Amino acid sequence: MWLNYFKIACRNLIKHKFYTSLNVIGLAIGIASFILIWLYILDELSYDRHYRKAENIYRLVNVYDFEGVGENSASSPFPVAWTLKSDYPGMVENVTRVFNRQVPRTLIEHNDKSYNERRFFFGDSTFFKIFDVPFIYGDPYTALNEINSVVISQSAACKYFGDSVPMGKTIRFEKMLDLKVTGVIRDVPGNSHFQFDMMASLSSLRKMYGGSLPKTWVWNPCWTYLLVKPGMADKLETNFPAFIQKYFYDAEKEHVSLYLQPLLDIHLKSTLDYEIEPNGNISYLYILGSIAFFLLIIAIINYFNLATATSANRAREIGIKKVFGATRVQLMVQFLTESLLMALFALFIALMLIEFTLPTFNVLAGKQIDLYRFTNAFYLLGVIGIATLTGLLAGSYPAFFLSSFNPIESFKGKIRKGARSGTARKALVVIQFVVSIILVIITLNIFRQVSFMKNADTGFSKQDILLVPISNTMISRNFEGFKNELLQNPHVKSVTAMDDILGVAHNTHEFRPEGLPDDNWQFYPALVVRYDFLKTFDIKLLAGRDYNESMKTDPEKGMLINEAMVKHLGWKSYQEALGKRFSSLQGEERVIGVFTNFNATSLHQPVGPFVLNIKETPGVIRFFLKYAAIKVDPGSRQEVVHFVEDRWDSWEKGRPFEYSWFDHELAKLYAGEEILGLLALVLTMIIIFIAALGLYGLVAFMALQRTREIGIRRVMGATEFSLIKLLSVEFIWLVIVAIAIAFPLTWLLIDYWRSYFAYAMPLQWSSFLIGGLAAFLLAMFITTVRALVASKANPVDTIKYE
Amino acid sequence: MIKSVDLTRIFLTEEVETTALRQVTFDIKQGEFVAIMGPSGCGKSTLLNIIGLLDNPTKGKYIFLDHDVTNSSERQRAKLRKQNIGFVFQNFNLIDELTVFENVEMPLIYLGIPTKERKQRVEEVLEQMQISHRKKHFPGQLSGGQQQRVAVARAVVSNPKLILADEPTGNLDSANGEEVMNLLSDLNRKGTTIIMVTHSQRDAEYSHRIIRLFDGQILVENFQSN
Repeated sequence: MWLNYFKIACRNLIKHKFYTSLNVIGLAIGIASFILIWLYILDELSYDRHYRKAENIYRLVNVYDFEGVGENSASSPFPVAWTLKSDYPGMVENVTRVFNRQVPRTLIEHNDKSYNERRFFFGDSTFFKIFDVPFIYGDPYTALNEINSVVISQSAACKYFGDSVPMGKTIRFEKMLDLKVTGVIRDVPGNSHFQFDMMASLSSLRKMYGGSLPKTWVWNPCWTYLLVKPGMADKLETNFPAFIQKYFYDAEKEHVSLYLQPLLDIHLKSTLDYEIEPNGNISYLYILGSIAFFLLIIAIINYFNLATATSANRAREIGIKKVFGATRVQLMVQFLTESLLMALFALFIALMLIEFTLPTFNVLAGKQIDLYRFTNAFYLLGVIGIATLTGLLAGSYPAFFLSSFNPIESFKGKIRKGARSGTARKALVVIQFVVSIILVIITLNIFRQVSFMKNADTGFSKQDILLVPISNTMISRNFEGFKNELLQNPHVKSVTAMDDILGVAHNTHEFRPEGLPDDNWQFYPALVVRYDFLKTFDIKLLAGRDYNESMKTDPEKGMLINEAMVKHLGWKSYQEALGKRFSSLQGEERVIGVFTNFNATSLHQPVGPFVLNIKETPGVIRFFLKYAAIKVDPGSRQEVVHFVEDRWDSWEKGRPFEYSWFDHELAKLYAGEEILGLLALVLTMIIIFIAALGLYGLVAFMALQRTREIGIRRVMGATEFSLIKLLSVEFIWLVIVAIAIAFPLTWLLIDYWRSYFAYAMPLQWSSFLIGGLAAFLLAMFITTVRALVASKANPVDTIKYE
Repeated sequence: MIKSVDLTRIFLTEEVETTALRQVTFDIKQGEFVAIMGPSGCGKSTLLNIIGLLDNPTKGKYIFLDHDVTNSSERQRAKLRKQNIGFVFQNFNLIDELTVFENVEMPLIYLGIPTKERKQRVEEVLEQMQISHRKKHFPGQLSGGQQQRVAVARAVVSNPKLILADEPTGNLDSANGEEVMNLLSDLNRKGTTIIMVTHSQRDAEYSHRIIRLFDGQILVENFQSN
């Protein structure tokens, strides 16, 4: 019996090549896209799961809340980790800190090789006991026990030591320390929330900090991970308030809270300040997952439509089988066999499509997914499962529909008429239009939101500003000397420096504005800058003045605040704010200027109070000057880069020069949205293509059904235009119905999406127009093409039809 | 074998009510060869559909092999049908996607007969119908007469007690038509009951008895003497 099903299925598929290829192409593309998105989502969900103890690893989060201003910090003060371990030994099994000295790059040298390493960290000796990364050389339990030891990745080993075994050899850290390689690990998997090429023993820094690591409970630069005993996390958290009371400074106690963030939540759910790397976003997985799901549904609907539309061709077969004793269930099984066969064939093509498109997909999505995964039983079964489910789903409705045919009617050819109209089929076409319209509009809105965020008026100028990292350099020790050399070049308009990239990240610093009690310190978002900051970034002053190099007291006594700060502190006017006193770690500072609000971080966040501050003590300057920002003439960007590099080489012997453009750094803030937008765009185009395939098949079939009618009309003098009208009028109505359903749904979806941004762009009515128009034009295009084909046929031949 | 009492079949469409059969009463005994004749639209096919358990009467009573099947479900009718009735149609109704062998084999598949036995029975019946040299061909590759022989083979392969033939020679030339009628007569002589709808007086002469229908009623029953 199965052989019989299989034979009939194959012969039918071959006989109706046109419809079969429409279906197979649609299903193959649908399945391929679905599998790719499935792989993408699995990859996103797999973050950090490769650590064996992942379930019990937590990151300590510090929340500082000063009347709504402060930070949600992913990192903690130095002493917290080990104090927790010694205070709660029954709950905390182990702790480790991860520290990057808050600098973006670290100079590492070995013999004649020198590189700026972005993935260099310091960690406690316990690090590898918590994060189990496979070691190629060395012992994870002891590798970081000694000071001045470092564990490096396989790639780093290759880069610095070539083929030789690096164990026991040294690399030079920032021209200060020689670190001995005590372990080589496999590269940290891409699906880790932070990746490192080098992990040095944190104890190595003791000397730099004067004999022991910082003991302050205010400065919080250490990412702190706890391995909590199973089931103890909640209990541990209930102890945090007492812990804070016991250790944190009085001024902070009322404003600080701590909580544990599960390691497995970090990549998709964490949006804290000072993340090690940008994270993903679980909502985007929902969006992509839904689009992929609908894509497959569209392909399945094509199958529904073509199978039921062409069912007249099968009616006789069904009737005969029923007459000779086939039960309805047997017939349903037969049709399901057919759709299953088709889906498995489509899967075969889909896998080839995946092989061809995977490299492009990886670039687009920023992933490293390989086909090797399919050798894993889980993935293999998953893929076959997807195809099987698709096949069964696609066959379900046709099987139900076709098996219901009455044999007597099927012999008389009555089914033919029924196959032509069909409310169900109309509804399905409407669904396809609805999904297409919604996706077109949403994709347009995602794109516009991204471009809106990239081009939004953030309150500072973004173009033609060169950023050069200068942490720990000679330049940072004598920044003004370097600046004056750069200003010799007529294309250099202005030069300044800052401790984080404006608009991307910033720190918070403690201040006590005048009028607040002595112990009431506040943590305000701030950037430490150099002279000409406002000028370089074109930030407007509302009152007072900018820092002035000729005013000797400015660095120590002067500070700049933004308009939101004036409002936050309840001062009536910008003028009133001038001269107000703020106590700080430098002593007492006074407001010398008020500047306009700017977006200190991404446009996901609203604008709040902000401080710009210059520091004067040499050690402090060096610590805080991490980026030089150089405003250049628009036409001479490359020229200036060469000039700056030349100057750099004379200042920094042996330290590689690196630079980036400010607007590129800002664009990275929206990388997540950009990937989402690109994937959504590609998927939407695929959906429209598949829907168009199905629609073409359907229109072609309808035209075939009406061949005789069209022939008669042509004999009676019908024009091509009237034939187009004849075939398209039904679809135009369906498009109108689809628009009526799609618009309100889309409006709700976009409203939800917009709520995710502090600065969402206004709803784009034009995108609705485009979405509706796209569906309309698609329907018109397809029916027109088919009508023209029909009108070319010789009416005498077509009248004979049937 | 077959007993019908006051069979009435009314078709309802949106606007029209058509009475295809009016209180038709007749008996058919095992081993009979009955021809149903009458002009187009007189209800012949409707009657054949009811006899063949493809349709239910609107009113009246229909007893098939001692089962009252007047109001039985499609499931029950399908079961009785596949075990007891073979069909031959005017337009052959072979499945184009299946070979001659596979077409004939189909009823046996639905009867759940094992592969080996199926093969044997199909071979036998193809031999009997003198069409076994064409068993690997598809219906489209055969002449009308050959196709109808395949259709008859398919109707008899499951050894039904009853064969229903709906104008079996309607699409055939006279030589092929005669051949098919001889096949049916042979089967009847071997004990199979045959009910045939026909327009052709010549074909009807192969039967024992002719039921003449007009406007859904039995006009007359002629008993033949051959």
